[in-house]
Amino acid sequence: MKQIGEMEHPGLLPTLFIENGEIFGPIRIYKKDNLYVIMSDLPFDPEMAFDFAESIIEFAKSNNIGKAIIVSGLESPNRDPNNPKAFGLVTHQKLEKLLYDNEIPKFLSGTIFGTDAAVLSAFRGSKIPALVLYCECHPFFPDPEASVHAITVLSQILKVKIDTTEIQKKLEHLRIQHRNLMQETIAALQEQAERVPPTGRMPKIYG
Amino acid sequence: MNEKESQFDIFTTPFLYPKLFDDIEEKILSPLSYIRELETKWILEFDLPLVDKEDISITYDDGNIITVEAKLRETYCDLTMVPKCEFHYFKKKITLPGDIDEKKITSTFSNGRLMIYVPKVFRGHKVKIE
Repeated sequence: MKQIGEMEHPGLLPTLFIENGEIFGPIRIYKKDNLYVIMSDLPFDPEMAFDFAESIIEFAKSNNIGKAIIVSGLESPNRDPNNPKAFGLVTHQKLEKLLYDNEIPKFLSGTIFGTDAAVLSAFRGSKIPALVLYCECHPFFPDPEASVHAITVLSQILKVKIDTTEIQKKLEHLRIQHRNLMQETIAALQEQAERVPPTGRMPKIYG
Repeated sequence: MNEKESQFDIFTTPFLYPKLFDDIEEKILSPLSYIRELETKWILEFDLPLVDKEDISITYDDGNIITVEAKLRETYCDLTMVPKCEFHYFKKKITLPGDIDEKKITSTFSNGRLMIYVPKVFRGHKVKIE
């Protein structure tokens, strides 16, 4: 895919990544054919997530994007690594068929908190439908095996072929490489937890 | 797991998710780890990719310090650092509060994840109900 843009927010710690002498921002937009991908290498809190979601909705409207698919994690410390599962949740009924056609079980009950809730709320209030794919993953360690499963399910929904061979070869290296991002994500969630009422424990689904 | 978990979690209790401190000079990486407190034991989990079971050492020292050391199967190069850094080992020390039964500490290792089960010792006496 070709990078076509980046997203910025004044609340984000100014960060740039350098790869082979080239500068990249932390939130990037890629495009190929009629498919857009937005990915962030930085965790951000729910307040920023509202702005982020609103910008994506505006971007979707101006580019005639019909739906958004969001990939998230479902905390599951006792999951079977040989049988990963993904659950789906849709903001608009017209996307239910996607779940049914791809045999993705529906996420039936629970609490969604934080960034995921902010993004979902924004899409619920808009005309752009969103499907959130919750993939079982380790709650506190990088889990590239879960990412591979998420990519596999995503490719099935989008009907595009995605070759995961190279990622599969690097799974253990990726777990080391992403230690710092994981720690930063947990630190962001700890900051979030400081702001919730004392009765509120973090729920089992987080974003 | 049927045993009730402590009301504390890593989001409200940072001690349960110790920070990373890599030692570039000694080529030692700090592994991610987290601690769960149950009624009768502590469970420590370490993420140890690129490690084989026979290359892991777990030691317990007085003062409730559990140390995990492991040799990497292959050198890990961190290309994001300038100049690039090479690492050969994982090492982390964790200090647990309260009394623990060090003779009954057990561990398992699967899929690059090390679990250490540390039973607690309960001291006290019965209180008579009148």
